Amino acid sequence: MSTKRATESDILRPLSATSKKYYALVAVTLVAIGLFAVAWGLQLRDGLIVTGLADWGSSGGVTWGLYIGAFIWWVGIAHGGIILSASVRLLGMDRYQPVARLAELLTLAGLTAAGLYIIIHVGRPDRIVTSILLNYTETVHTSPLVWDVTVITLYFVMTATYLALTLRYDVTRLRDQLPDRFEPVYKLLTVGYSEAEDEVVERMVWWLALGIIILAPLLLHGGVIPWLFSLLPSMPGWSGAIQGPQFLTIALTSAIGGVLILSYAFRTAYDWDHIITDDVFRGLTLWLGLFTLLFLWLQLQQVINGVFAAPIDQTHAAEAKLGHPAYWISMGLAITTLAFIFAQTIRPSLFSRTRSVLAGVAILSATLIEKIFFVVEGLLSPTFELYHAVPGSYVPSPVEIASLIGTIGVVTLFFLVVSKVIPVVELHAIEAHEDDGDEHGEAYEYDGDGEEPTADRRTSTEVNA
Amino acid sequence: MSTDEATADEVLADLHTDEWEAEMQALLEEGDYDAELGLEMAKDAQRLVAGELDEADFYERYHDAVIDEFGVDDRPVAEAIEAADGDRETFVESLEALEDGDLDRREAMKKMGAAGLFLGLGTWASKENAEGGPDAASVAAGSDEEEGTQYGMVIDLQKCDGCLACVVACSQENNTSAGANWMYVFTYEDDQQQGENYLVRTCQHCSDAPCEKVCPTTARHKRTEDGLVLTDYDVCIGCRYCQVACPYGVNYFQWGEPDTPRSELDPEHVYDGRDRRVDSRPPKGVMGKCTMCPSRQDGKRGEEKIGTTACEDACSMDAIHFGDMNDDESDPNQYLERVRAENANDREDYPNRTEDTVSTFRLLEELGTDPNVVFVGNEPGPNARQVEGPVSYEDVGEVDRRKEVLDDGTFGGGVIG
Repeated sequence: MSTKRATESDILRPLSATSKKYYALVAVTLVAIGLFAVAWGLQLRDGLIVTGLADWGSSGGVTWGLYIGAFIWWVGIAHGGIILSASVRLLGMDRYQPVARLAELLTLAGLTAAGLYIIIHVGRPDRIVTSILLNYTETVHTSPLVWDVTVITLYFVMTATYLALTLRYDVTRLRDQLPDRFEPVYKLLTVGYSEAEDEVVERMVWWLALGIIILAPLLLHGGVIPWLFSLLPSMPGWSGAIQGPQFLTIALTSAIGGVLILSYAFRTAYDWDHIITDDVFRGLTLWLGLFTLLFLWLQLQQVINGVFAAPIDQTHAAEAKLGHPAYWISMGLAITTLAFIFAQTIRPSLFSRTRSVLAGVAILSATLIEKIFFVVEGLLSPTFELYHAVPGSYVPSPVEIASLIGTIGVVTLFFLVVSKVIPVVELHAIEAHEDDGDEHGEAYEYDGDGEEPTADRRTSTEVNA
Repeated sequence: MSTDEATADEVLADLHTDEWEAEMQALLEEGDYDAELGLEMAKDAQRLVAGELDEADFYERYHDAVIDEFGVDDRPVAEAIEAADGDRETFVESLEALEDGDLDRREAMKKMGAAGLFLGLGTWASKENAEGGPDAASVAAGSDEEEGTQYGMVIDLQKCDGCLACVVACSQENNTSAGANWMYVFTYEDDQQQGENYLVRTCQHCSDAPCEKVCPTTARHKRTEDGLVLTDYDVCIGCRYCQVACPYGVNYFQWGEPDTPRSELDPEHVYDGRDRRVDSRPPKGVMGKCTMCPSRQDGKRGEEKIGTTACEDACSMDAIHFGDMNDDESDPNQYLERVRAENANDREDYPNRTEDTVSTFRLLEELGTDPNVVFVGNEPGPNARQVEGPVSYEDVGEVDRRKEVLDDGTFGGGVIG
């Protein structure tokens, strides 16, 4: 068994150790963001004409494209992230406690990227505050877009509160070892802290987690986001009650993909083999497989319903979907990932962290392509298809692609910066270690979700030691 | 409805026997009862079916006369009306009860007046057949129930010759950018129809407009005074959700700088009577679409232009009729009435036929948008295909596929697109 103990200095390492690679990565993200800024500047100057978008109908284009697809994708990553974190607290899935805060941070970063997409997507971003807020009481009754803004804001507030509450405990205890230059931040985070609050905060966080677990599937990615599309009478490719569950599976797969990438990056950068263990990767990969299976199953439902004796408009939409290479690229990536994860459960030696991360990247690519394609295909195959310019065409312009590079840059930079300010692994996660003494790994490795310990795992822990 | 139709037909078939005709004649000639009353009631029964008269009025109008004549008013409708149901179905059910033998048919006929029942049943049957059929789209039916002004159009597709004069007039009047065809004319072929047919597509100014519902800002709104669906260019944020939600594809976003600068627009044609910026082409970054010319309707462009639209003025075929769809006296309703009168069916010899042979429809009415444009002519079938028209958009200096113009502005469009 491992003799390497996870210590406070381990989780504080990102705050002090800054490698050349770190600076290089910061530089890369800044270039990406710069590219995005230039592209957006062009768009502000010339209008949305610089995108590959156009009107649907007689014009032969689609009016929503990459911006909205990427918006859904980021919101999905965000929602799934916090669901994972809330599950740790609510369902006692302690094994994932070391990555819980990373998942929470991913939620905030993802929502930020999604918010950016709302702003760059519209023709008059300068009016967002006045036009939406001033008419809120009227529009909230009927506009799914206003429901979205409402629920996403609520979600952001809940997640930020959740994170702030859990940080108070850690920051107070680690204060002496935290860098002085962020003193004001720590003061603000721990304002009015007393040890007596720990128990209360723990209860509050539990209730917040419950709220999030209920809110996310029912109202968010299984609710207002798919309702943006599925409630409309105009586009058969979007219709159907299945969009709720379908969007939810996309959120969960994307989020696990994101957490896998983050886990890999932090473990590699800061030698956290004993904190984010192989077991975490193995478990996350299995969950990824489960949700990918659900994702593909719901895709199958939609296709079958569209091609077998469906009304004409739905048939045309389903045929258009099946005839498009983007759909098959997305499905191919998902199917390949699922096949690998299945194979890995049968033959555990197939597991490696790199493969798990590749599975995460493949799924994130699959869901991104699927989401952009979903938006576009709906507009390409409307119910009213008399126009000879229907179906139209759409190719994302460099300006739109720059936004994707830019938002990935924003999210990466967010993690680079945040990891220098606060510990991205909870103190509770290593305290659990310490309580268990030498058997530290076991407490969260075999927590009763039914997975047998394997020879591989023991070997890997020993290797780590 | 199909079972009702079948029942109605069966009732008529059952009644229209030689024996029955003879019986009817005899009843009238016997003169036991007031034949004039019977005929008067029969005419009103037809109005009832046309929706011009409701059942309660019908009942009340003849109540005293029926009491005088028969001593009692137990017409089949009476019970139903008194049950305060108010549902048209009740009348149908009462009449069906006749057939079922719940009421003595002969007794009923005597009391109601044989002629009345004869015509009444005939119209009832045609009403049943009409419901859900093409005549359901007629403007007259149900128009009494609507309140206030609701601007809309009756467009006679049989008169349209595809000259695109309306398209040109609209784009010139509103200074829309190339390809933003607020007015759009389809020429199409359909397996079920002969030759080339036209569909003239404006905004449908729906009573239950999805675009208005989804708007996150109230920029897309329905003017309370006349039901026009408009976009407030000063409020719109350009999210394009209205364009996504509209099933007709009538919205055209201002992707780049408009072809006509603001300075060249007539100020009287930009703001409507409420001083809201809803008319003429939209500025960059906001949504535009057919407005049905609110600054004209508000008298800002001269008295003579009130009640007209640019497309209507330009149509030399007299196919476009703009006006208040809730007013029986309005141009569109009068036009429709005239067309119906010109194409009346011979109902003396064939009493179970519809009143006329005019086919009307509202576009995609099944989607529940409650559109306010009524078309005279045939509806394009599900497999209709748009084809090159007799006059192309290029011929008249317009652009059909706007994306071709927009692609010139796409950054890197020449390389990738």
